[in-house]
Amino acid sequence: MATGRASMRGRYTAKEVGLAFAFLAPSLAVFVAFFYVPFARLVNWGTWRSVRGGTSYEQVGLEQYRDVLTGSEFKEGLWHSVQFVLWTVPFGLVLGTMLAVAAHRRLKGIKVFQAIFSSTLASSVAVSSVIFFFLFNPSIGFFRVSWQSSPRWAIFAAALPSIWQNLGLAFVIVLAGLQAVPDEVMEAATLDGYGPWRKLTRITLPLISPVLLFLFVILVIFGFQAFAQIEIVTQGGPGGASETLVYKIFNLSQDYGKSAVMSVGLFVVTLVVTFVQFVILERRVHYGDE
Amino acid sequence: MATSDGDNRGLAMAPGTSAKRRWSLTWQYAMLCALSLLVLGPLYLTAIQAMSPPFLYVDAGRPLHPVAVDWKDRTFFTGGLLSLVVRLLLVALLLLWLQKVASGRGLRPFATFLTPARALAVVGGTVAVAVLTGPAFGSLHDADGRSAGLVIVAMAVVAATQLWAYLEGDRSPLLAGLLALLTGVGAVGTAIVAFGPEVWTQTWSRYSLGPAMGRSFVMTIIITVLQVSTAIMSAYAFVFLRFPFKRILFALFMATLLLPLEVTLVGNVATIRQLQWTDTMQALVLPFGATALGTFLIRQGFRGLPSEIQDATKLDGYGHVAFMTRFAVPLTRPVIASFTVISALQAWNQYLWPRAVIESNTFNTLQIQLRQVRATEVAAANQAIAAALVAAIPVVILLIAFQRQIIRGLTAGAVK
Repeated sequence: MATGRASMRGRYTAKEVGLAFAFLAPSLAVFVAFFYVPFARLVNWGTWRSVRGGTSYEQVGLEQYRDVLTGSEFKEGLWHSVQFVLWTVPFGLVLGTMLAVAAHRRLKGIKVFQAIFSSTLASSVAVSSVIFFFLFNPSIGFFRVSWQSSPRWAIFAAALPSIWQNLGLAFVIVLAGLQAVPDEVMEAATLDGYGPWRKLTRITLPLISPVLLFLFVILVIFGFQAFAQIEIVTQGGPGGASETLVYKIFNLSQDYGKSAVMSVGLFVVTLVVTFVQFVILERRVHYGDE
Repeated sequence: MATSDGDNRGLAMAPGTSAKRRWSLTWQYAMLCALSLLVLGPLYLTAIQAMSPPFLYVDAGRPLHPVAVDWKDRTFFTGGLLSLVVRLLLVALLLLWLQKVASGRGLRPFATFLTPARALAVVGGTVAVAVLTGPAFGSLHDADGRSAGLVIVAMAVVAATQLWAYLEGDRSPLLAGLLALLTGVGAVGTAIVAFGPEVWTQTWSRYSLGPAMGRSFVMTIIITVLQVSTAIMSAYAFVFLRFPFKRILFALFMATLLLPLEVTLVGNVATIRQLQWTDTMQALVLPFGATALGTFLIRQGFRGLPSEIQDATKLDGYGHVAFMTRFAVPLTRPVIASFTVISALQAWNQYLWPRAVIESNTFNTLQIQLRQVRATEVAAANQAIAAALVAAIPVVILLIAFQRQIIRGLTAGAVK
């Protein structure tokens, strides 16, 4: 086939276009069937309200959106999700940075420690949830504390598996950031008489701030998407005190109208977070191309 | 020097009095060991819980006593000659490997490698593990309260056999002692966990982890193959082919990143129910058949290829399919490998989606099966705890085998 890059610029050949769409078709089919169509249906379902105990639905326009999104159930779920994020994200950032700074040095056997620090990557959400469910179980746990059954601490109890599981990811990401800092910068700082603490706060942390931002964003997204932790550790309890947004949506699936509105609400929340992630990702890529 | 002594990898190498340097090294290793305990602590405590006798005694009042201990009598020597030989070989090989790493040289020539000190470490360590962990097993079985002491004695003796070998090659006594201690703790701990209580096999059959794991394997493999192949094809189209609406289509691809599964869950579950696909493999895999992230990452890889390669192959008469399979894909193998491993990891760890489309417990994936251990009776709680550890083993193996790819994949967006 004689389709030289320069000579045919701006023109399409039927063969190439056909091949391109054949290559894109499988992905497009998945995206349409499992991303766009379900989302469109959700937006539509949000305008239908369940009546007579879910036996039928009536068209109510945007009324249901207004009622549910300003209602106490959505706000409560959102607040629980935010609390979950507030527990997991700071711990993830601080502990991840601590582990990475500790393991970023030239020592014999440091690879072993790096492997240990990244080892929680091997656990799934379900595995770590079961581990922490039994570790802190009020009746048979290793530590018999009442966190899982206390309304005030239930979310923290459900966040513990995430905090532990995120250690590996946070460590790996921050370490990659530290390794990208040129040695000369640190040597210059040493020559200028900077102590270890000042080097950390004045030079290392500012230099890896984009990496920390990236980590921050993915930890926030993970936090908002948490489900297995809640279901395995507290089952939303006690008395709904740890029902996050996703947990509520999952358990509401009988009432299509209401759960659709809450899904759209979750979409708006994650949209904001994902948008920040995308901006960061795009900027990284530009740096890489230069 | 404070524990928070930031980044002193320069300092560690800086000239100074050797005593001061040795002190600084000790500090750094102590700090790293403490942090390792923090990371591994939950796993360690969980292993102890799993191997403790069943929990029925919790409600039996004080003094605590186990009500139904159904472990067989076990020592290091029970279970036939063949398994004993395998066990001994495993321990010996582990110790030999540790000595090889510590000596910083290869095994060959073997005669010069195996000094008397190292021979003592390997043979003596193996014998000590075999002889001394037996009583510890027995004590665990009887729950007579002496297990902890026996285990510590075994660890100390094994550590003592290692000390001489670690002292070879200009190591400070402190460091050698620390290494010997770690080896003792590790070897005895591994022996107890691996060859001790039968809780591992009990949990395997009780929670039918085998079939669930098999189902998870099949699901993971199908999802990974689908994701990697669709991502390669669409990335190729976006980079090397010219077709109309390219920008719009690319935006359409990337916009799916804004629709996480949690958002579309209710709609997708409705689709699956309408198709009557609940409890089927296609329901588990099809929604994950394509990813925007994979397309994006592999597209970056393709764009990094020099355009001369494509021009040259074109002159040689290669078509697009041949160029893709023979040049583009092999040349971007690191990127594709990273994405493959990450995709497999995510597929294996799925929880929400399988939970939503599996309605009968006989079709559970491994992660969903783990949910059932929550409802276990107190008397068998140790088996439930063990299930979590057994379920983690496949990913541990994956992590060890593909550490580099996983780390590159996870940090792909963080640093470039």
